[in-house]
Amino acid sequence: MGETTEVKKKKRPLPKSRVMLNALVDSIYQDAYEAERKGEPVGWSTSIFPQEICTTFGVPVLFPENNAAGVAARHDSGRFIQTSEGELGYSNDICSYARLSIGMAHDIATDPNYEPPAQRMPRPTFLLCATNSCFQLLKWYECLSRDLNIPIFMQDCLFNCFEDAPADHRNKYGKSQILHNIKRMEELFGKKFDWDKFEEIQKISNLNSRLYDECVLMNDKTPSPLNGFDLFNYMAPMVIARGRKETTEVLLQLKREIQEHIDNNTSTFGSTKEEYRVDWEGIACWPNLGYNLKTMKKYGINCVTNGYVGAWSLHYNPGDLEQMASQYMLSSTNVLSTNSMMGKRADVANHFGCDGMLCHINRSCKYMTYHMFVGRQIVEDKCNIPVVTFDGDQADPTIFNEAQFETRVQGLVDIMKQNKEDK
Amino acid sequence: MKYALGIDIGSTATKAVIMTSEGKIAASAVVSIGTGTAGPKKALMEVLDKAGLDRDQITWTTATGYGRFSLEGADDQKSELSCHAKGVSYLMPGTHTIIDIGGQDIKVMSINDRGGLVNFVMNDKCAAGTGRFLDTMARVLNVEVTDLSDLSEKADEVAEISSTCTVFAESEVISKLSTNIKIENIVAGIHQSVAKRVTSLLKRCGIKETIAMSGGVALNKGLVKALENEAGCKIHVHEECQLAGALGAALYAMENTKKAS
Amino acid sequence: MADVKALLAEFDEISKNPRKMLDSYLAAGEKVIGSFYYTPQPLITALGMIPMGLWGGQVNPQVAGKYAPIFTCSILRSSLEFGMTGAYEGLSAVLMPILCDTFRGTCAAWRAGVNIKLIPFVHPQNRKDPGALDYLIEEYKYVKTELENVAGKTCTDADIHAAIDLHNKKNKVIRDFCAAANHHLDLITAVTRHHVMKALTFMKPEDIIEKLSQLTAALNELPDYEWTGKKVILTGITAEPDDMLAGFTANNIAVVGDDLMQESRLYRTDYPAANSAMESLALQWLNIKGCSMAHDDNSRARGEHLVSMVEENGADAVVLCMMRFCDTEEYDQPYIIKMVQDAGYMAFSIDIDQSTSDSGQALTKIQAFAEN
Repeated sequence: MGETTEVKKKKRPLPKSRVMLNALVDSIYQDAYEAERKGEPVGWSTSIFPQEICTTFGVPVLFPENNAAGVAARHDSGRFIQTSEGELGYSNDICSYARLSIGMAHDIATDPNYEPPAQRMPRPTFLLCATNSCFQLLKWYECLSRDLNIPIFMQDCLFNCFEDAPADHRNKYGKSQILHNIKRMEELFGKKFDWDKFEEIQKISNLNSRLYDECVLMNDKTPSPLNGFDLFNYMAPMVIARGRKETTEVLLQLKREIQEHIDNNTSTFGSTKEEYRVDWEGIACWPNLGYNLKTMKKYGINCVTNGYVGAWSLHYNPGDLEQMASQYMLSSTNVLSTNSMMGKRADVANHFGCDGMLCHINRSCKYMTYHMFVGRQIVEDKCNIPVVTFDGDQADPTIFNEAQFETRVQGLVDIMKQNKEDK
Repeated sequence: MKYALGIDIGSTATKAVIMTSEGKIAASAVVSIGTGTAGPKKALMEVLDKAGLDRDQITWTTATGYGRFSLEGADDQKSELSCHAKGVSYLMPGTHTIIDIGGQDIKVMSINDRGGLVNFVMNDKCAAGTGRFLDTMARVLNVEVTDLSDLSEKADEVAEISSTCTVFAESEVISKLSTNIKIENIVAGIHQSVAKRVTSLLKRCGIKETIAMSGGVALNKGLVKALENEAGCKIHVHEECQLAGALGAALYAMENTKKAS
Repeated sequence: MADVKALLAEFDEISKNPRKMLDSYLAAGEKVIGSFYYTPQPLITALGMIPMGLWGGQVNPQVAGKYAPIFTCSILRSSLEFGMTGAYEGLSAVLMPILCDTFRGTCAAWRAGVNIKLIPFVHPQNRKDPGALDYLIEEYKYVKTELENVAGKTCTDADIHAAIDLHNKKNKVIRDFCAAANHHLDLITAVTRHHVMKALTFMKPEDIIEKLSQLTAALNELPDYEWTGKKVILTGITAEPDDMLAGFTANNIAVVGDDLMQESRLYRTDYPAANSAMESLALQWLNIKGCSMAHDDNSRARGEHLVSMVEENGADAVVLCMMRFCDTEEYDQPYIIKMVQDAGYMAFSIDIDQSTSDSGQALTKIQAFAEN
């Protein structure tokens, strides 16, 4: 989970928020390259790790999931996946982000002349792994740790089997890990941790989370001011720079732009009329994003909301580490039970006035797919809207089938149309 | 003169070889139906007929292939991996890597100078890249599987098939047909897709010169060429490649004939 | 000899008929708790109930697909199928450790499709963190409370201590059996060994101690058998069905050790002495080594463990029994195969798929290994 990329679109000038966003992403990569050049620590992190910690240390961290999405969207994932499945012998059953990243790490470690992707990942000296999104992340990072011979700092975010907030003993374990990781990092980085700065970064993170939520919510207008897939792009700063002031600037600018659209009754969806409002469930099919968008536009479908873009919205009182740990155990859609997660989805679909739900049965993301198998009934009952699934993958181009996608979309449109006529 | 029989009962074809105690091939037969059918019996009759022998003149019979345990009257059974290794080593001494694409398996084997197996990898339980995959694609294109080679040689570009799943690939091929892409180019795409699957196994097992391909699919020159492109190495194919498994079994049978005497 | 044969037949019978075992427990008025993989079983024993392992079975699921995608690992898919079709009826509750993503999903699927009380709980993966122990003690306290509700009574620290002693004794008896078996590989074939080990997951600890000690003693009375064939170590989640295992024997290969979840992995780590019974239960999880489901800071722990198993038991190869769609094991697959091969031994994988009875490819690989 957690990615950004350039959604292919017509040669319209990019909105200012996007220009700022691109500059921010670029500067983060540059910082990492600089550290790599100087032989200073550089980290690779899972997408929902308490990034507040390394931001405080001032140590650059990049995000393989986020990078993999970009590589896949640029149709460059195949070669890394082949290295994993072929030379290295990994099953094609495991997550495609993992296959991509393990293949890339192998190239980085063994071939000084390898051709990097458009957004090059520097060689990491440590790993940050939070287990909230899934258990595969942990197995994947074990492989990276073994292949690159570098340590893992783990934030084990326990699965919530129940509908309530995590019990106290879970939050205490979470806090213990934050403290222990900071201590171990002080040793590895050879730097003292600045607790005052930490609180400052936490404040910024919370502000950004609030701003981001507001932006997402502004899409409940009809027509929606944003083309739903735009949200996939604006997730980027939340994933990779949640604790930075520049992110605040990007989000404030985005908010202004959305407000302008609302005031002028315009949308980034373009000139196509928004016939149907749909909730897209699951990660994007990055290698097929353009095709998906084009096909849905053809039928006047705008994906006005998406369940998992909110995974980076974390709210806690700065300084309260138990609460912070608790938030990391609640934010990912994959750390929650199906009842709470799909119940939330149904509420969102209702709030956004969705006519249907389109679920990506993502070969790579097993648990998210489980949610859809078990939870589709919850959505159908609570929202009384059709739920349609299609097969695909977040980064492996060999799973998706255009004909199947269009057939399913057509089927969804037929039902939505009939529902509208019956009203 | 003593005779040894090797029979390779695959999922889609049965191959049989009779060897003399002097180590010469007395006769061979290929029947394009496999296990669970009349294929094994037919191949047996045909090879005996060609050699002008009765069944009781055969001293030892070794069966191999997916249906090796179903043959009545076999004296023993050997795995197709060992048989291909032995057979190819006999046909093409100096081979160290063998690729065999069977009806439902892709096998890559590393062998030593004596034809002994050192390591092997096989596809997981998935038809992608197997002989069956090619059969399905030929059926969708409404051509004979034996025509695929010639068709791909006439391609002017490769129409990429991205799906590895047989069902999805089938629908991808159909949609390419409906957009009037040349059949020849689609076939080239199918070959490339198989070549990619096989190359990944090849890399996992380790590429050690020289490399040979055995089994009936090796007769598909277009596929072999695609494989050479993907793997970036020369792949040798013996004209009797289809017999490699049966030949290996016959060689094992011959060893037993000698032990028995 | 007669003793050995008769005892093996008993284990064989139990391993093939868990339902019959369950019915006999129920008929005796006992409460039975289903148990997936690693669970704090002494708590069940301390409350006077019986733990029974859940391992799915050879079945092509017909109804599980409603809640479980096709790429659910074979074992949890068949377990869900059994749950949904009544094969587990009579269990008072099921303990489910959330050890992988498929368990996360099965947790929801179980609640939706199976009418047996589910007690899910989560092991900490950051096992070196100073907070992990306290967390797990609290988590097990919740499991204990849930089990007490099922049992309709409570248990004391002393009760749990007694149960821990019993389970540790059971573990030792099982390890002793495995060691003794290697001197009698003519009698303890791949199939019989598996039947014994699988039966243990359905038996009461006190029965295991009694019966298995008898078997080991009977074996020890026989003269050692000199095995001249090849020897292998099995690793993975389960090694089934019998047809596949019989392929080892048919090719003159013996199993001289296992690192299977269904077999030795469960009994490798004892409950250590600790300040309290609950702490002892929790420490056991923190002490587990070389398991795909328990993160280790030493990222080569399992590979090292397998190489040393090969060396200690004089084995020729490691066979990875790859549970279909078990991603947790799939991530370990490349490195353990390579590490064993680099140490100079053969290593290969065979697919384990409970939804089909066809072991053709596995048999070919086993035979090819035997022939070379």
